[in-house]
Amino acid sequence: MEAAAAEQGGEKIPPGKPMSMEQHMLDKGAQMLQSLKPVKQMNQHICTFALYSHDMTRQIETHHFVTRLNQDFLQCAVYDSGDSTARLIGVEYIVSDKIFESLPPDEQKLWHSHAYEIKSGLLVNPRVPEMVVRPELENLAKTYGKFWCTWQTDRGDKLPMGPPVLMMSPQPVNLGMVNPDLIVKRDDKYNISSEALKNARIEIPEPEWINPQADYWKQHGVGFFIDVEATEMKKIVPFP
Amino acid sequence: MEAVNVLTHPQIPGEPTQTSTTLLEKATATIQGFGPVNKIHQHLCAFHFYGHDMTRQVEAHHFCGHQNEEFRQCLIYDRPDDDGRLIGIEYLVSEELFLTLPDEEKRFWHSHEFEVKSGVLFMPGVPGPIQRQDLEKVAKTYGKVFHFWQVDRGDSLPLGIPQVMMAMTRDGQLYENLSQDVEKRYNISFAKERENRAYMTGPAHGIHPMANGGGQGLQTVLREVECKPVGVDHSAARVFV
Repeated sequence: MEAAAAEQGGEKIPPGKPMSMEQHMLDKGAQMLQSLKPVKQMNQHICTFALYSHDMTRQIETHHFVTRLNQDFLQCAVYDSGDSTARLIGVEYIVSDKIFESLPPDEQKLWHSHAYEIKSGLLVNPRVPEMVVRPELENLAKTYGKFWCTWQTDRGDKLPMGPPVLMMSPQPVNLGMVNPDLIVKRDDKYNISSEALKNARIEIPEPEWINPQADYWKQHGVGFFIDVEATEMKKIVPFP
Repeated sequence: MEAVNVLTHPQIPGEPTQTSTTLLEKATATIQGFGPVNKIHQHLCAFHFYGHDMTRQVEAHHFCGHQNEEFRQCLIYDRPDDDGRLIGIEYLVSEELFLTLPDEEKRFWHSHEFEVKSGVLFMPGVPGPIQRQDLEKVAKTYGKVFHFWQVDRGDSLPLGIPQVMMAMTRDGQLYENLSQDVEKRYNISFAKERENRAYMTGPAHGIHPMANGGGQGLQTVLREVECKPVGVDHSAARVFV
């Protein structure tokens, strides 16, 4: 079952030989001896959707494993599924509205708002009863996120190719609407209904104001791309 | 020249976590599955520098899991502590996988041979003989690293765009104060470990000339692009709301 999850169209992503018994044992040994503290701080799994800022027809289901560093800041390791075979596809940072307002406008352009994906039931914490997670959702609804994707598995890349790309969040306007098929597929997998969650979340307060620099494409019609240029490296000794 | 010690850097802005939030997250941590994260089995400490600027160097704590024998994916933190900041991602591939990449892509990837053989890449807490069984494999791999948080320049938040990072390929690149700091903290000697690792070899085909930036610096630049028009108006297709 797990092996099937790792395959797309018959090709393995990533390719490579299965782990040897020797490697398994080395891993187990290391695991017993090392404390892996930062990773143990992840205490939430969030499933939601994201869109490529440079091509919003490309939409993905994402799985965030979240660590809270303080009341205003979270950092997330993002995967393309919730299974143990999931590929690490990026990093998202989440900040409170207070912190977001302190950022320079040029920086704010790279961030997206979260209110819609929460109110619409697109963002869920798999397995957690809605009432338990409600306070967290109320908090998250007022936050902004910055999400870099480093591996475009949705287009079949077998290995992580190219520079990171900037992702955007679902929004209730044309380009930002998530394809219903994607939603149905996710809902079926977790036996939930985004529609039902949307109704349950009517009471979650909307932010009074969403900064117009966020979700930059809505008012400006542009997304962002990262180019990589060859340049003279500042060096102290030769490289390589 | 000295590199900045990130351990002395300012805190992330924001209020301390409220008790109610902590309790809620303890609940989610208990109830939910953490499959992908549970695969992370290994802590590797190494150093990266910016792909366009060798003078900016960062201690990088990698927390790695295997997708298979030839591919690892790592989360990079600035410190191996509970409050370590997630600053980047690294992917490691075998030489075989690396050679399947187009030349344009190979530029992003750096070789690990020198880092491993010099001793500066190591597994904290793991005895030498056990480490070496894994690191002799790592010596033949290539890595692709991006950092998203420039902690070395004092950023208290992850500002700006992703940075391509590179790693050490010869003596004299790594700042002594950085390496000595790590040696002291972990009570190890890179020089001693270098002797122990003298038997190791790098990639069978030698270090590929297109790796390590293809011999050039690499710098990322942000570009605005017109939003690709959507073919289907999903708002019309939606049944709800």
